[in-house]
Parts: sequence; structure tokens; C-alpha cells
Amino acid sequence: MIEIKKTYKNYVGGKYVRSESGKTFTLNLKNDSFEVPLTSKKDIRDAVTSSKVGFEKWSEISPYTKTQILYRLSEMIEGNKDSYVDLLVLCGSTKNQAKKDVETAIENIVWYAGLADKWEQISGNLNPVNGEYFNISHQNPIGVVFSLNSNDNSLTSLLNSIIQPLTVGCSVISFSEESSIIALKFAEDINNSDFPPGSLNILSGQFENVFEDVSKHVEINLISICKEIPNEMLTKIQENASNSVKRIVNMPSIDGISSILSFLETKTVWHPKGT
Amino acid sequence: MVNWEYSESVESQEIVNIKDKYQNFINGKFQQQNSKKYINTISPSTEEVLSKIVISNEKDVDNAVQSAQLGFEKWSNTSPHERSKHLFKLARLIQERSREFAVLESMDGGKPIKESRDFDLPQVAANFFYFAGWADKIDLSWGAKSLKPHGVVGQIIPWNFPLLMLAWKVAPALATGNTVVLKPAETTSLTALLFAELCEQAGLPDGVVNIITGDGTTGSLIVNHKDINKIAFTGSTQVGKLIQKSLAGRDVGLTLELGGKAANIVYEDAAIDQAVEGVVNGIFFNQGHVCCAGSRLLLQESIHDEFVAKLEKRMQTLRVGNPLDKNTDIGAINSKEQLNKIEGLVNEGVSDGGKIFQTECELPGNGFWFKPTLFTDVQPSYSIAREEIFGPVLTTLTFRTPQEAVEIANNTEYGLSAGVWTEKGSKILWTADRLQAGVVWANTFNKFDPSSPFGGYKESGFGREGGRQGLLSYLKAES
Repeated sequence: MIEIKKTYKNYVGGKYVRSESGKTFTLNLKNDSFEVPLTSKKDIRDAVTSSKVGFEKWSEISPYTKTQILYRLSEMIEGNKDSYVDLLVLCGSTKNQAKKDVETAIENIVWYAGLADKWEQISGNLNPVNGEYFNISHQNPIGVVFSLNSNDNSLTSLLNSIIQPLTVGCSVISFSEESSIIALKFAEDINNSDFPPGSLNILSGQFENVFEDVSKHVEINLISICKEIPNEMLTKIQENASNSVKRIVNMPSIDGISSILSFLETKTVWHPKGT
Repeated sequence: MVNWEYSESVESQEIVNIKDKYQNFINGKFQQQNSKKYINTISPSTEEVLSKIVISNEKDVDNAVQSAQLGFEKWSNTSPHERSKHLFKLARLIQERSREFAVLESMDGGKPIKESRDFDLPQVAANFFYFAGWADKIDLSWGAKSLKPHGVVGQIIPWNFPLLMLAWKVAPALATGNTVVLKPAETTSLTALLFAELCEQAGLPDGVVNIITGDGTTGSLIVNHKDINKIAFTGSTQVGKLIQKSLAGRDVGLTLELGGKAANIVYEDAAIDQAVEGVVNGIFFNQGHVCCAGSRLLLQESIHDEFVAKLEKRMQTLRVGNPLDKNTDIGAINSKEQLNKIEGLVNEGVSDGGKIFQTECELPGNGFWFKPTLFTDVQPSYSIAREEIFGPVLTTLTFRTPQEAVEIANNTEYGLSAGVWTEKGSKILWTADRLQAGVVWANTFNKFDPSSPFGGYKESGFGREGGRQGLLSYLKAES
């Protein structure tokens, strides 16, 4: 019987879409190969438009509900664990490695699910100002985050490149190259987890085709680079970013509370006290 | 009506002792610099030459960075508790010599003595006191032991709050274990150089604080020096972008505190008289040379006429003149260059079609002055409604609904500060949540405290100064 092979597409604005260019590239995995979308500059712009809408919706959702949506994501992955393991094995992992990778990813999601309704209590505080004022510093999500995933075929690595901004209310455009197949598969669980459309978008492609546009796009508020890239490329990205004082995070921390700080803006509000 | 005659009350200049010319402060002492290029530093209120400062060159910058590297070794070997005590000592010395600093600040920068004496200097001391106490508690600040100092920090500061900006930069940098090369603005270097004397007096280890004078060329040399580990800059968005660009591809930390065009939103249910006071303070404080100045007044349509009438009446009472007169509300514009910029933008506002109101007052013959100015009938597209004027010029826009107020307030590439005036608590919180600004003042404006983080969203920069969050600007996560 002939094998029916899944077509993997980008995931933008809550929908599975092909690249508008019609182009794909071949992912040669250790034990299989797939044609996946070759994201174009226009696809990037469309993803940013969706992410802006996604950001508004996602940041309006209460922390309590965010916790539950993130937790549901872990439930979804748990339910599809075998299919992730199979895919990771196609990519070259041993079954044990694959299992461990998926389990670690789930553990991480649960950890961040539990952080979604607490981080403001850790990163924010009252300030004891000298005077009769109520003064509080708390944080807002920075906005639309573009995240470049590493080339590791690993669900844990993918999660580590998106979960921190997502937890604090940013919308994310996740871009993968050689590891795209895991990301595109992961989009299915995002789709089943009550995330508002546009809050998390998954793209596959070659970063060198789009990095100029990404770094010049004024509506991307932060670029998070989770893989080693050539210094000339990093330099160009940072130069372009300076035109709109865009934030660039190279190899972001994945350690505890410091992992979310880059994705936050601190806002301090003053009000006089009196009778 | 009794016609009160005005009687001035001028602060004596005797307390200050200005040298004919200054040297850089490197490795714990004032040193002959390599550069032979001097410029005059003048009093903007009299145009009198106060002294000469050097425009430091590449060799001078290199000496300062090397000294800071040696200083970093010493400072790293000083226990956090000892570092804390050094900062406490500096704080006390600043308090003790604060009048001297205040008079010098007003002479060199043109700001009213009542502001330098009652605002700048108390805040300077408070910053050193606040960060002194953090020096031996960094581990507690974010619950992370992996936070480490950057090393040598280059700090470039503006002319609007010369010594206060120094305090905002130096105190947290030292508390977190860094050493600094600081460059004050070329029009206002004198209080920084006096601070250098204080470092000597306080017995701070050599090389921990290095102060070199110069203009933008010196600033650029600091930014591009190969051994700088982090840059902290306060100034214009334009220069901030250049710095961000020059650091591209280099492993150098960066925080930027840049321009602003803050909306000051007055709802119809605000306490109007209180709001008028706040709006006046919001824009005319320090001649409007304030990056977080409330320079866009957003009035709800229903109160526009009443509010503008009261505002004009209140503005008329502002006393413009000699910065050393204790009655002066508005001092001199910091430089001829800045005055030209303000005049240019105001002329543009008039030719665009804005209606201008300026107070009737006599301006001194010498020096740089600008009358308190209010624009009404302004379209949001006018440059006076979009660009940072950095002077005593307020632009008025109107709105009908809270949603519209927020939309106008956020319709700018800046995001440093904002103001909200209403007697309704829920409306304050609703509005504050939606404003894209690092500081929101509700029923108050232009309040500052070392424990309160300050810094911008969007093109107003990144990183915070002050508070627990301010420590992060001088720490990096190390695994």
C-alpha cells in the first residue's frame, strides 16, 4: 500500500498556509525527507500583521487563563508523544533520546505554565520612594518577538526559543531552518490549545533570505537569536535594528526568571497619597 | 491693589572656586592630557567664560579605559560591603558640599538655583545612598547568583541634569562592581569635575571612577574603544541610534535613555487647578530641558477653553531670569545651539498654523532665553506635536474619548513617560495600563526617586535606571 505522507505548511494567524511564493525546500532528514515552505519576505510581512493582532488578543487574556492554555499545550503534546518520538527518530534521534526530549519539553511547558500568573510578582515591586506617593513598577510584554530557532532537531530546543516570550504575553514568530519539521509538527498542537490566532506563528525557511527584512521591520519589537549565526549577519541585523531602536537578544538566557526579563518593558506608575 | 515691588534674592557665587582650566580625572588624580585642544565653558545666563575644558583625544580615552581596567581589578578585590561603605561615604560628602555643587550647576548650566538646590542635589545624594545599600545585596536583588558586573563601563551623559545624570550612572555602576569612564556634556562639565575631587577626597580606589571631558568626538572614541565592556548613554534618540549601530556585532552591553514626547492627558473629571499646576511643572521644569517633559498636553474637548485660560494665567506668573535668583522659575536655555533649535521648531509651529501664546516678560540682555510658550489649534501632524523640542514649549491637542486619548498618546515613536489627570481611580488604572511609556505619572508629574525605575519603551531607549530593575543595566548573566 502506498504511504500517505503529510504535507507540512507554515502556521500563520491560526491557519496552515503555504508560502505565497509557492516555493519549498527539501529537508533531508536522516531517515526521510520532506518538502517544507520556503518563507518569503512577503510571508514575513504577513506573519507580522498576524502577530500584531495575536499580540493584542494574547496580552488581553488574563494570567490565570494563560496558565491554563499553556498547561493545555503540555496535555496536547503528551497525547501526541508517540508521533513526536517517531518524527524525532526520522530526524536521527534514538528512541530513548527522542522520548527524553519530548518529556523535557513537556516539563518545561508545565514550569512556564505555572509562571504565567506569577512572574509579575517576581519582576515587579512597590518602590519605597521618599514622599507621599504610591509607586509601583510592573512589566508589560514587549510586543511582537521574532525568534530564530536552533538547527537541533529537538522539541526542547524549539520550546526554549519561544516559551519565555509567550509566557509573558508576547506574540511570537518562530522561524526554523534545518529543524523545521519539528516546528511545523508542533504547530498542530498550538492549533489545538486555545492560543488566539496570531499569538504563535511557525515559519520554515532559510534565514539568510529574510534576515534583512526581519531586522528592518519596525513592527517587530524584538529579535531573539537562538542559534549561532555568522558575525557579519549578526552585525547587519544589529545595524538595521538601530534604525528603530529594536531590541536584539543573542542567545537568550533559558535560566529561571532571567529567561523572561528580555521580553519585558518595565512601567512605573506614580500616584500621590492624600486625604 | 498694593503694587508689590520685586525684590531679588541672589545666591552668592563665593562658595564656588572655579579653576582657569581643567584636566581629566584618571587613575585617581587630575592628569595632564595628551590633547591640546581646549574649549571654553560658559555661563548660558551671562555668556561669561567660566573655565576651559579639554576635548579628550584617542590617547586620553585609552588612558582612561586602561585606568578603569586596573580599577576594575581593585574594585573586584574590594569586598561588596567595603564597596557599599565607599558609596555611603560619597553620598555624605555630596550632602556636605551640596550648596557648592548647586551654585556651580546653576552657573554652568543655567538652571534655577531653587531647582539645583532643592531637586538636583538632594536627588544626587539620594542616588548614592540608595545604591550604596545595594552593593552588598546584589545576590538578593534578583535571586540569581549568576549576575556579574560587565567590567569597564563607558558612560555618556547630557547637559540637562549634569550632576544628577552622573549620579544615575555612576552610583548603580559602582554598586554592581563595575568601574567607569564617564564623559559629561561639553557645555556642563564643571560639576562632574568637582565630583572627581570628591572621589579623591573620599579615598575611592584609583581608577574606579575616571572622568574625561570632551564633545561628541570623545564620546564616539569611548563607544568604539576595544576594551569597553558596556556603554550607558543618555541623550538624543538620533545619537542613541548611532551608538547602537556602532556597537553592532560587538559583545558590548548597551543601555539607552533617549528622547521623549510625553502626552499629559487631562480628562474632564480632573481636579482642574491641580492639573494646571502639574502641567506647568511637567513642561516648564528645568526650562523644558527634560527628556520626560509633558510636552504634549492632551485636553478633553469639553474643558479645553477653561483649561487653556487658567493655564495662560498661571504661565504668566512664571519668573524668567537669573538662575541664581532664588525666585527664578525658569532659567537660561543651556546653549546658543539649543536656543536656535527651539526657535526653529517654534517658528515652524507658527507657520504650520498653530496659535501661539507667550508670556509677557523681560528677558535679560545677555545669555540665552526663551519665553514660556503654549501652542493651541495644533494638528497632530505638526512637527511641534511630534518632535522633541527640549525647551519651554507646550503643544496642545484635544480628544473626545479615553480610547482616543490613549491612541493619540501612543501615536509617537517615543515612549518614555506620560501623565494622566482624573479624579476617577478606575480611569487612571485603565489609562496607565494602555500607555506605552516607561513612567506614568497619575495626578502628578516629573517625580523622581532613586528607588523608582526610569527608562523608555520603543525609541525612547532600553534598560532602566533606578530601583531594583536599574541594577540589571549593569549586570550580565554568567553561566
